[in-house]
This record gives sequence, structure tokens and C-alpha cells, in this order.
Amino acid sequence: MKKTSLDTLPAEGGLGDEPLLAVDNLHVEFATRAGTVRAVNGVSYSLGPGETLAVLGESGSGKSVTAQAIMGILDMPPARIPKGEIRFRGTDLLKLSDEARTQVRGQRIAMIFQDALSALNPVFTVGWQISEMFRVHRGMSKRDAMIKAVELMDRVRIPAAKQRVNDYPHQFSGGMRQRIMIAMSIALDPEVLIADEPTTALDVTVQAQIMELLAELQRESNMGMILITHDLGVVADVADKIAVMYAGRIVENAPVHDIYRNPAHPYTKGLLESIPRVDLKGQELYAIKGLPPNLLDMPTGCAFHPRCPYRQDNCVTDNPPLYEINGRRNSACHYWREVLDGDQG
Amino acid sequence: MGRYIIRRLIQALPVLLGATFFIFAIVFALPGDPVAALAGDKRQDPNIVAIIRDQYHLNDPLLVQYWYYIKGIVLEGDFGKTFAGVPVTQLLAGKLQVTLNLALVALTLEAIIGVLLGLWAALRRGRATDTAILASTLLLISIPTLVSGFVLQLWLGVWLKQVTGTEFFPISGATQGLKSYLLPGFVLAGVSIAYLTRLTRTSLVETLRSDYIRTATAKGLSRRRVIGRHGLRNALIPMVTYLGADLGNLMGGAVITETIFNLPGIGLQLYNGVYLREQPIVVGIVTVLVLVYILANLVVDLMYAVLDPRIRYE
Repeated sequence: MKKTSLDTLPAEGGLGDEPLLAVDNLHVEFATRAGTVRAVNGVSYSLGPGETLAVLGESGSGKSVTAQAIMGILDMPPARIPKGEIRFRGTDLLKLSDEARTQVRGQRIAMIFQDALSALNPVFTVGWQISEMFRVHRGMSKRDAMIKAVELMDRVRIPAAKQRVNDYPHQFSGGMRQRIMIAMSIALDPEVLIADEPTTALDVTVQAQIMELLAELQRESNMGMILITHDLGVVADVADKIAVMYAGRIVENAPVHDIYRNPAHPYTKGLLESIPRVDLKGQELYAIKGLPPNLLDMPTGCAFHPRCPYRQDNCVTDNPPLYEINGRRNSACHYWREVLDGDQG
Repeated sequence: MGRYIIRRLIQALPVLLGATFFIFAIVFALPGDPVAALAGDKRQDPNIVAIIRDQYHLNDPLLVQYWYYIKGIVLEGDFGKTFAGVPVTQLLAGKLQVTLNLALVALTLEAIIGVLLGLWAALRRGRATDTAILASTLLLISIPTLVSGFVLQLWLGVWLKQVTGTEFFPISGATQGLKSYLLPGFVLAGVSIAYLTRLTRTSLVETLRSDYIRTATAKGLSRRRVIGRHGLRNALIPMVTYLGADLGNLMGGAVITETIFNLPGIGLQLYNGVYLREQPIVVGIVTVLVLVYILANLVVDLMYAVLDPRIRYE
């Protein structure tokens, strides 16, 4: 395979028709002793500058694996990408040389992880870890890089940044640690920020603060953001569009308000109905019956059919394509019309 | 930190007293009479025997003898005399240096070879190199020093000299500086090298699986930097612990190596001391070894705080 060099990567600016980031028919599989696990089966989504895409799904739905494939931080092997493209400004990242890929990572596409305590290195100070970005990628001196680190800590609103720059991660609270993680990821003004469940490990009040901070940073820099979460509550305020994943596929994607108002896939509908609501207090909370499928032994036809209240005979045999509902949204359900109408056929 | 060190040293006192008393009692309980052993097969004058026994407090009960011994050490720094009349401190001074040299050479070889092999195996995990390194460490662990010592002495000491005409590895004595210690140091370190290799491999493999390594990769750092800075720095913690504790083992384990390579260290002396039932020598050497253990462990614990900022001593 011919490797493209970094020089062919367009700089910031004119994108033409090409979105900032486009994932196209991506497949990722893992070789395990029990067999090949197909974690991602033909995922496509795109992201523009300043746009926020929320990728929703339960554990094992392939949402994090997709993100790691974009970052290029999957362990290969055991992971393998047999098919698909990840185009960043029109260049397929999967065809880049390792060296060119490293140049994109962290500088142009950055990532925030779920648990900031384990994601930060315990033996280096937070200042050292943030300033490393400037020392390694920008060739700054230790002192200048440290000054930049303090600036960034101020920017993500860590109180007394100057005094705390030489503290270690374990000396910070969970919310502050996530802020440090964010400071590190935005250090070099990336064009795409991938946030993999950035608030899952945090208190509810702190969650809101972190989401607010991310939204604010995004407005300032116009970066595109992929927000990976299983928390529908987090999504509503910040996302522009949503992609719902199930068993390694996107089952529905749509602008955020369309989905909340009227889901077009039974799985999305189930997720929305299982959110606790104040006006339904006292009633039993809805739960989607059954368990997510075993990726080693996927159901025939539509992967969701064993749990689906709309199931018909052809769902067991035919895997639905991603039907286009209108120009803006898709659903991978044979009976999306019935789901939209709320009519349980 | 200072208070922590003082507290640890105070805690070491009962360990030191207990260890010396234990050895003292064991040598006391050995069958045979040291004064009789002095004369060999010759008949002894009972009067002289009585004088010697009295002079060395050999007629007193165990606890009283031990009391005299400790009193001498604390008040006069006197570890007693050998039956030939040489002060134990003087006897051990030069020999301790030889053993310390040997142990330090062994520790250095262990650290370099063990870490490099472990690193290599960890980075080639699951492949042929990894398997080969693991298999050879198993071999190294299984061969007793008694065998590896003589075999290497023959191959690298005798044959290599015959073939090349140059003496790379002296086979006896400690008269040629560092050169004298290389081969015995390697023999002494053998088993430890194998353990450290395995420990390094496991520690690094585990570290490379952790979340902060993924973060480092996501920061766009080179693989070299991810492993060298972020990985190794964390993997180092168990390795340093092992190395520190091993210094004591190497010094205590030098008996066989020193005997094979005829190195005049405390190992050889300890062997002779036990053989001749010379209590002051045996107890003196053991005291020194216990001290080395205690200090090495203290240094290891202090190194912890340097390597891992999550650990603080107050």
C-alpha cells in the first residue's frame, strides 16, 4: 500500500465539499482466542468545524473503538481494520505512514478519556504533562512550555493554577483532573476533539461544569467535537447531531432535536423511554428487555431483533440497511415509519 | 523524611539484637568444644584450658556471655577477638571490602543485563525473542551457583586463556582489580539476573497496558518516548525494590562464589568461622549482613518516595 506523506494533508482553511472529518464504512475487528470479534461493522459519520456530534450507545456498541480507530491508538494486532476510510480534511488517515499519523495525533485530532485519574501519568506533575505537548511538538524550552501550561490551566479554570502546576494528578479532585486532561488535549489547538465519556466518572454537578467548559472552548476555537457517551441527558444541551450505535453499527443518526422529539429506531426509542422523568415519578421505569448481543455470536438479520417490540419475521432474516428518512436523518429499521408514528405494529 | 529515617533506624535495633542473639545461641548450641578444637589432636594442659575458658567467659551461661558480647560492642566497638587473638573488626575490614566489591559488581551486571533483557522481552511479547528470553531465564534459575561457577571458570577462565593466550577472566583471587570480579560477579548474579529479567518484563508489559500510556500515545508522542519516558518510569518502581533488597542477598550468598574463585571475602571467612566454631567471627559477620539488609531496605523505601510521588513519608 502506498503511504501518503504528511505534506499532502491540507492545512486549515478551505475544505471544499469535504467535511472536516469523515468516517466512511469503517470496519474494526479483534482477533481473540474465541474467534473474530467484529466490534465495528460499517460505521459512517461526518463532522464539520464547530460542530458537535454525539455518539450514543451502550458498552460494547463500538463507539469507543471507532474513536480509537480515528486516533490511531488501537492495539494492532489484535485489532484490524479490514475495510473503510477515515478522512481528515480529505486525506485517508489509514493510508498515512506511522510518522505522519503521529503528527496528526494530539496536534490536529486530540482526545479526552473517561477516567482522568488513570489517564494521567501518576509519576509526573500535571504541569510537566501539559507542557510536554509544547516541548515535544513545538520545541519550546522547559520554562516557556511551563508558562504555557499555567496559561492553559487558567483557561480551563483551575483555581490557583500557578501554585498547582507542580502538583501531581492524585492531588486534584476528579473534576479538576478532567480539566487538566482537557487542558492537555486543547494545548495545540486541535481541529477535532474526541471526548470519550468525559463526564462518566464525575459527580452530576461537576458533569455540567465540564460539559459547559467543553462547549465554551469549542465556541472559542471552532473545533469539531465528537462526544461519546451513553448518557442521553448530557447530549441534549451540547450536541448538534446524534449517531446512535448498536452492536457496531449506526442504527440511527439525526439532528439532536429530531431524535428527542421523535425517534425513528426502536432502540433509540427505548433509550429515551428509559430516562427517569419527574412527571412520571412513581411509575415503573422502562427498560429495554434482554441483553446487548454477544459480538462473537451476532443474531441473524437485524442485531436488535431479539429485544425489539416492533419485530416482524423479516427482521430475523434481513439486516436492514440505513434507510434515509429525509435529507437529514437515517434509521436502520425496516419499520421506521411505525416507530415514528409510535404505532407498535 | 528525617523523622521517618530515625524511626526506621530505631525499629532496626530489636531486629539487630534478635538476629545476633539467635546466631549467638545457635553457635553456642553447636556440639564440640572450641578450646579443644584449638589444639587439634594434641593433649591439652587442663590449667591452660581453664584459663582460656575463663578468659573468654566460656563457663558462663548463654545470656551472660551474650551480655558481655553486646556490652563490648556498644561500649568499645569491640566485636571480640578470634582465638588467634586478632580483633574481629580488623579481620573483617579488608574482607568486607572484597565482598562488597563482589556484590556491587554482581548488582551492576544484574541491573544492566536484567533490565535490558526484560525490556527486550516486553517489547517483543509473545514472539520468538520473548519466548527465548523466558526459556533462558528458566535455565539460569535452575542451574545452581555451584555448577555455573565451576563451568564458567573452566570455559571463560581456563579454556579461553588457552585458546587466545590472553587472560580475560582471572580464575582466582582479587588481585587484578575489577577484572578479578567480573566472572565471579556474573556467577553470583546469575539467578538474580533471571528474576530481574522476568520482573522487568512483567512490570513493563503491565505498565504498557495502562490508561496513561494510551494517553501518551494520543498526545502524538513517539513510541520511543511513550515507552522510555512514560512506561519505564512507572515500571521502574518494582524493579528498584527488587534490586535494593537483592544487595543483601548477594552479600549473604557470596559464600559459594567466594569459595570457588578463592576471593578473600566475608563469605569465605564465614565458612571458616563456622567450621572452627569461632563464635565472634560468625556472629560478627551475621551482624554486618543484617545491617546491610536493614540499610538496603531503608534505602529502597526512601527510593519509593522519589520514584512514586503518591507515596509520602511523614
